[in-house]
Amino acid sequence: MKPASTLSTAFLHPAGQALPEPLLALRKQRGAALVDMPLPTRKTENWKYSSKYLKLTDEMAVSLPTAGKTGSALAVPGYKVVFINGVMIPEASEYPDLNNILIQRFGDLSDAEASELAERLDTTLNTKEVQFAGLNSARFEDGLMIRLNPDAVLDQPLFIIHEVTADASGSAFPRIFVDAGRNSQITLVEEYISSGQEAVLVNSVTEFTLAEGANVTNIRLSMGGENVQHIGATGVTQQRSSRFESHCVGFGGPLRRHDLQVRMEGEGAECKLNGVVVTQGTQHYDNHTTIEHVAAHCDSEETYRNIAADKSHAVFNGRIHIHQDAQKSNANMNNKNLLLSTGAEIDTKPELEIYADDVKCAHGATIGQLDEESLFYLVSRGIDRREANVLLTMAFINELVAQIPVEAVRDTVQIRLNQFFDQAFQEA
Amino acid sequence: MLSIKNLHASVEGKEILKGINLEIKAGEVHAIMGPNGSGKSTLSQVLAGNDAFEVTSGDVTLNGENLLAKVTEERAREGVFLAFQYPVEIPGVSNLQFMRTAVNAMRHHKGEPEMNAAEFMKLAREVSKQVDLDPAFLKRGVNEGFSGGEKKRNEIMQALLLQPKLAILDETDSGLDIDALKVVSDGVNALRAEDRAILMVTHYQRLLDYIVPDYVHVLADGKIVKSGGRELALELEERGYGWLGIKDEATADSSALSNSAN
Ligand SMILES: Nc1ncnc2c1ncn2[C@@H]1O[C@H](COP(=O)(O)OP(=O)(O)OP(=O)(O)O)[C@@H](O)[C@H]1O
Ligand SMILES: [Mg+2]
Repeated sequence: MKPASTLSTAFLHPAGQALPEPLLALRKQRGAALVDMPLPTRKTENWKYSSKYLKLTDEMAVSLPTAGKTGSALAVPGYKVVFINGVMIPEASEYPDLNNILIQRFGDLSDAEASELAERLDTTLNTKEVQFAGLNSARFEDGLMIRLNPDAVLDQPLFIIHEVTADASGSAFPRIFVDAGRNSQITLVEEYISSGQEAVLVNSVTEFTLAEGANVTNIRLSMGGENVQHIGATGVTQQRSSRFESHCVGFGGPLRRHDLQVRMEGEGAECKLNGVVVTQGTQHYDNHTTIEHVAAHCDSEETYRNIAADKSHAVFNGRIHIHQDAQKSNANMNNKNLLLSTGAEIDTKPELEIYADDVKCAHGATIGQLDEESLFYLVSRGIDRREANVLLTMAFINELVAQIPVEAVRDTVQIRLNQFFDQAFQEA
Repeated sequence: MLSIKNLHASVEGKEILKGINLEIKAGEVHAIMGPNGSGKSTLSQVLAGNDAFEVTSGDVTLNGENLLAKVTEERAREGVFLAFQYPVEIPGVSNLQFMRTAVNAMRHHKGEPEMNAAEFMKLAREVSKQVDLDPAFLKRGVNEGFSGGEKKRNEIMQALLLQPKLAILDETDSGLDIDALKVVSDGVNALRAEDRAILMVTHYQRLLDYIVPDYVHVLADGKIVKSGGRELALELEERGYGWLGIKDEATADSSALSNSAN
């Protein structure tokens, strides 16, 4: 059967109506725009390496049910908001009721707040490049709005657990919007997990707007199952002297796509984007990042590492766009890739567009294998070959894992990495 | 302890070792000298099990067991230790973690309990003092950014931690200043024991003032062309390799090198 060339109309029908009117209206409008939305193919530049992994069926179009779910029992060292299939589960959530920080599900927003939010949704992303953000906007059933008043500081990390329960085929559309006021601070951990075995789509969007001096750290863990196709996007806009730090750790799946777009619109803004991806078996993972230096005197630093084992496939596309007025920009992008088997594939592409003349911009991308000489050195000391492989593979990402600022997340990541090593270096 | 019979080995189809014969008994120290490119490191690497080199014929036994049949890590656990001529830098793996993993692999092999981080730290600090390496080096990546001499001391530190049966030291003395040479020699002398054999590759007879060998061998073009006692090293120092009839390119290279080094 020839794959469909446009998004099936089955995807154009949101299920629940439990949202304030302005958000329902927005959803409807975005849905209308999706009629005949072309699905990416090999010829779609930004999906070139990944379109073949995208397998949407009409069964997957229906929103996954949320009734009867009690939510993740995951213990977290901080505050926690649990979403099941894109809908918040208040009973499973624990977060403070503060007068300077609003943490509220979309369903509970007043019409006035919802109307303001509707104005701002999708504004941090270039929706022409991030086609599937529009699908989320047409389909979200709920979402989380976080608003930090000026100078507000959330004293502990806020974990947002997005669980998808794949007991039947279907989709979920998690949505988060963070409005970080002047000089406010927050650490937000997004954890994407799944249960159940049926083929499902998770289509998520997270947006951050950072006002002057705001300081936001976002940790994103993509840990869904082998039945989950996940297409996610993160959009960020930064005003003067704000700082955005992101740590994306992703484990592969049948389709994993993350678009991360950061626009530095105010002078003196700073962003640091770290990413670690590991894939094995026949898994896939595709990171597309864009950093827009719109204003002058901004710094960006991006470090991504991919590790691909077996016959898996990882993709990194990093674009830096330095606008004409963005003098004295400082941009640093580094992508290193490790192939653990000859059957694995990694595609990496740095893209620089520089329109200002007084900038410092460095980029580098490498693809390599574990170093035989290092391996020999380790085993010549009696170290088990498997252990030596693990040490060298960890060495490749150690620095990035160590930089994740929440210990519990580092532990979670290490546990998943150990599982990865168990599989990847079985008989070595 | 170590018995090498008619060992031939090649790399990328080119024969480097062309029939090596060597017997080393427990408690002995043997020195191997010879021009650049004669195959000294190749012999060391082959003994340690580097499969970049292909053994085409010959036998090697360690305490009667066929060494060549074993993979590198097994050889190491049974007591083969190679101090590399050029120790590799491994950023991202801390020296401490590396050494503890190695020591525990050995202990595991001997059926001894593993050392925990604190126990190992204590031991590592003591041994690092013995080779005059600041304990700060334990925290760095393996050999990462170490100077030539620091790398060599780090190799000896590992030998002291792992207590091998057969220690092969490939030019562990080169690139050392006078004080470091003394420190490294003291380390090697501390390794000397009844039940241990040491094979050291060196270009300098000076080392042999500190570590007095029982035998000296000259390796040239893949063969041992002369063996003798300690005095052979002195003779080589005086007369070079020419009198032994070694007249190949490698000799010319090596004399050019030692001239420029002097
Ligand atoms: N991986 C390799 N590929 C090709 N040739 C090699 C390789 N390793 C060693 N050789 C060659 O084998 C020969 C012996 O090298 P080896 O390193 O054993 O010499 P050596 O006696 O240790 O010399 P030196 O005194 O300079 O350390 C040299 O000609 C060298 O170029
Ligand atoms: Mg050598």
